Amino acid sequence: MTRASVVGAGMTTFGVHESTLPDLFATAALSAYDDAGVDPADIDAFYFGNAMGGQTENDTHLAPTLATEVGLAGIPAQRFEDACATSANAFKNAVQAVDAGIHDTILVGGVERCTPETGKGTGEMTRIFASASHRQYEQPTGLTFPGVFALLTKRHMHEYGTTEEQLARVAVKNHGNGTRNPRAHFGSETTVEEVLDSPVVAEPFHLMDCCPFSDGAAAVVVTSDDRADSFDRPVDVTGVGHATDLVPLGLKPTLHATQAARDATTQAYDQAGITAEDIDFAEVHDCFTGAEVLASEAIGFFEDGNGGPAAAAGRTALDGDRPINPSGGLKAKGHPIGATGAAQIVELTEQLRGTAGDRQISDATRGLAHNLGGDAGTTVISVMEARA
Amino acid sequence: MSANTNESASVGYEAWTDALRSGSVLGVSCADCGATYGTPVAVCHDCGSRDLEPVDLPTEGTLHSVTRINVAPVGFEGPYYVGIVQLGDARITARIERDGADTAPEIETPVVLSGVIEEDENGLPAPVFTVETD
Repeated sequence: MTRASVVGAGMTTFGVHESTLPDLFATAALSAYDDAGVDPADIDAFYFGNAMGGQTENDTHLAPTLATEVGLAGIPAQRFEDACATSANAFKNAVQAVDAGIHDTILVGGVERCTPETGKGTGEMTRIFASASHRQYEQPTGLTFPGVFALLTKRHMHEYGTTEEQLARVAVKNHGNGTRNPRAHFGSETTVEEVLDSPVVAEPFHLMDCCPFSDGAAAVVVTSDDRADSFDRPVDVTGVGHATDLVPLGLKPTLHATQAARDATTQAYDQAGITAEDIDFAEVHDCFTGAEVLASEAIGFFEDGNGGPAAAAGRTALDGDRPINPSGGLKAKGHPIGATGAAQIVELTEQLRGTAGDRQISDATRGLAHNLGGDAGTTVISVMEARA
Repeated sequence: MSANTNESASVGYEAWTDALRSGSVLGVSCADCGATYGTPVAVCHDCGSRDLEPVDLPTEGTLHSVTRINVAPVGFEGPYYVGIVQLGDARITARIERDGADTAPEIETPVVLSGVIEEDENGLPAPVFTVETD
């Protein structure tokens, strides 16, 4: 059943931007307004995501600031923070608010700057990202986020025999998709050899297994099922699941299961009345290549242990039977933390409208977004469907 | 130990750091259901009980997972190894040390508690486990 509909979508290119957070966000928001054909007067709430502005740019209390920038001052505006799942959490809350009749039409979006344009280099940004791991029980070890996902992936490799070459194939596929996405941070192909020859960041991840530091913004206009018919190109949200797992890593019963993703997927599929078989494609949180393999199993695309071989066999390619990350994913499209969840919704919207151009999944009628936060402690799963 | 600690969790962070600095690893065990956690929590995840008792975890265990970190955060100097160590029924995150090799040890390798590092900007300690050699 339709819980809410996306009637407008917009985003900046992801990459290196000199623009300020308000300038970047306005570009995405005005694009979403225009796509929906709405004015600020049509919006009655603003659900906004930014994960780290306080740490990266000494910029907080951003919801009313950005509301002012895009003509929304006066209405309720709130900021969400859930590490890399920040704007998917904002989206979930917007869908629930519209579904419950609390608001009619909501602007949802996120913005982040993570590149050296912030004045922060790799070491400083690595420290800021690590703030999403447990302050007392993990950060003092020097654990990094590539390290967190390395620990999850290494256990998967140990359990199932997943190989570095299989991981590299994820990067090759997503870079290929990224060449078809004009908004992607990386627009060039790569090869398994290039990935495996690139420097090791946190074993088993080479530099080319890792998403980049990116700047960018994304926004969508969410409205109720009954209002959606008055818009030109609505796409329906039929399920949104949200679950958490224990933090720190040592408390998680099964390290490589990413249990929050499994629980959120069950919720979303139950709401939509579907199973994994009914999903035509997915945008998943491939902050590292191993994360895509784990996600592909957690959302039910492949049996546990088959995610690596499936990626290597081309099953997740644009023309595979289980396409994943047609946008290029975080790996190639880029990962401006607080904008990533909203950007996944932008991609689902365009794919389900049939307007994704060179990266269009043929006959796509139902898609899934998997947005993970922190050490897989949070995951939000959204299911969207083309409007009948 | 400050008075505030006694007012909050039955086993708090300060008890954990005190234990670590004196050569032991403090977990908690639920008096009601028996669940064991490698790091203290105020409420049992399995049954909801607040009756969590301190328990000394083994100081010898095995590597449940491990990585070599080459790109370190500001304040740390790579490369180094970080792992998840299995200690009886519980697991904790720790710094891993090994001699004579520049690749990560294998998963399931035996390790033993060998001390603490305090490289954190606020001096917070982390356990160090060393790969046992014959």
